[in-house]
Amino acid sequence: MRLLTKYNRVNLITTIIVMLITGFIYYQALSLILTNQKDKDLVVEEEEVFDYVKLNHHLPQTFESNDQQITFAEVAPGSIKREFIDTTYFKKWDKGDAHKRHKHKHNGWYESGRALISSVTIGDKYYRILVVESKVETEDLIRLMFTITVGVILFLLLILLIINRLILNRLWQPFYNIMKEIRLFRIADVREIPKLETNIDEFKELNATVVDMAAKAKHDYKDLKTFTENASHELLTPIAVINSKLDTLIQTENFSDRQSKLLNDLYSAVSRLNRLNQSLLLLVKIENKLLHEQQQINLRGLVEEMIIQFEEIFQDKDLKLTYTLDDKEIYASRYLAEILVSNLISNAIRHNYNGGSINIKLTDKNLVIQNTGGDMPLPVEIFSRFHKSSASEGSGLGLTISRQICENFGFALNYEFQSPFHTFTIDFR
Amino acid sequence: MKVLIIEDEEGLRESIEEYFTVDGNICETANSYQNAMVKISLYRYDCILLDITLPGGNGIDILKSLKENNHPDGILIISAKNSLDDRLDGLNLGADDYLVKPFHLSELKARVMAIIRRKSFNGNNQLVFNEINIDLLAKEVKVGKVPVKLTRKEYALLLYFIANKGKVVSKNAIAEHLWGDGIDMANNFDFIYSHIKNIRKKLVEAGSNDYIQAAYGMGYKFTEQ
Repeated sequence: MRLLTKYNRVNLITTIIVMLITGFIYYQALSLILTNQKDKDLVVEEEEVFDYVKLNHHLPQTFESNDQQITFAEVAPGSIKREFIDTTYFKKWDKGDAHKRHKHKHNGWYESGRALISSVTIGDKYYRILVVESKVETEDLIRLMFTITVGVILFLLLILLIINRLILNRLWQPFYNIMKEIRLFRIADVREIPKLETNIDEFKELNATVVDMAAKAKHDYKDLKTFTENASHELLTPIAVINSKLDTLIQTENFSDRQSKLLNDLYSAVSRLNRLNQSLLLLVKIENKLLHEQQQINLRGLVEEMIIQFEEIFQDKDLKLTYTLDDKEIYASRYLAEILVSNLISNAIRHNYNGGSINIKLTDKNLVIQNTGGDMPLPVEIFSRFHKSSASEGSGLGLTISRQICENFGFALNYEFQSPFHTFTIDFR
Repeated sequence: MKVLIIEDEEGLRESIEEYFTVDGNICETANSYQNAMVKISLYRYDCILLDITLPGGNGIDILKSLKENNHPDGILIISAKNSLDDRLDGLNLGADDYLVKPFHLSELKARVMAIIRRKSFNGNNQLVFNEINIDLLAKEVKVGKVPVKLTRKEYALLLYFIANKGKVVSKNAIAEHLWGDGIDMANNFDFIYSHIKNIRKKLVEAGSNDYIQAAYGMGYKFTEQ
């Protein structure tokens, strides 16, 4: 749940509850005040009756005015307790309501009313006085005031919601910006997380922390890479010495078969060591994006060159090569493109069996290299460093490098197995 | 020919010196920036092998100094730095070639010979070895007057052998020279054997002597004996 949603939900629920309580209290207060008002009117009426009785010593005529009725009844002395009650008020149809009378067959309708029961003694007779007033107008008034109030509150709520949405969204904008930056963050990238323009302390702090963290991570990563690079570099010189000494050694003639076999093994080992080292250096370089020179490359030409380059090796392993190549231009580093294609074709050869086959297909969309080989699909770790089959003579970095190059170019490198073919596909996207 | 080897790594310097000191070639060495500067101010060389990282200075400065004084020495940079920028820097500053460590001595020799050929035969692009004539521009090989049709790789291999005549060239070196890094996927070097067999056959059929000898299963030797 988003913070804004959560906040809005809490806000809304609280506001509604508070509003309901306030509304209830407000309603009660209003009706209390207005009922008091009614009661005062009733008392005034009662006073009038008393005054009349005092003056005339008999009951006034029962009369009915608008919304007020007074009735008298003779009752047992002392049986009346003076009190205000809520009751109903029978309203007779007005003349204007003739159609209603006709329709309902009554001569009036009941409204809610307020009544005062009181008593008066005339001579030896004891009378009950009932003064009833209609409360319709009071209730209308309450209803109107209540409606207006609720309307105002709802309107306020709506305004609050809109403002919240606008302001909070804007308020949180720096947060989302930081999030976006973190998401874009690549440890191998040169791009730094930018300083954020905000005057909110919390966000400033968050930004500063994130920037620091990123810088630290990058620094550590860089250290690690520098170490790899330096280590590989330092290895180059001794390898060069071994190599040159071997070259010198074989000039000294007169070797036995056993000695020459040993020397051959040494040569292979040194050249493998060298390739491994070069691969590590290359990987660091690609990750550092140190190979910038880009140019227009005709991929078809490049693949054709590679095929010619590997011709003897295809023949040596008796591999059946089929290829269909469309023209495809890419804009990239030629050096890396060569390594990429060479690596993939090398793999297709290396993991093939004698008499197997290789299919290469270049279209506008992708470059597909298929080869026969093992019966089982390769595990997903093939793209990770130093993963290789036990039989492989490679460095274990070939596919890692290939994938890195693809990433560098903005391509995607994928593997799938569909018996009997292992398929590597470069999607140009 | 006269070669100056500027290299601070003793083992490597000695190997190169030994490999190059044959057939009356003169090799001099320098193991530091100062040493090298003294030598290049006093003497001229057919080719200078220049390491970039040197005690006391940078090989690039030596290159600059040579070019500023318009010295015609051929320059081959040998460096552990295999970055394209360094390579382009070196070549833009007037180096003739750039070789990345580690390398086979035979490869180094072939490169040096190519530089010296370009420098000394200005315009005349003929390479002659006894009865074998090679037109470097047209990439044509003749034995006496008889043209020999070699494939691209066979031609490269022949040049490589001639540059390293009298030396045992390892199969590894040959494979790396002809196939580059891609060579590591081959199970064995049998296909080199078939290339060599083809060259020998073609040359002999055209009337040449058979100069290529197998050397103890480790490599081959191009020799007059």
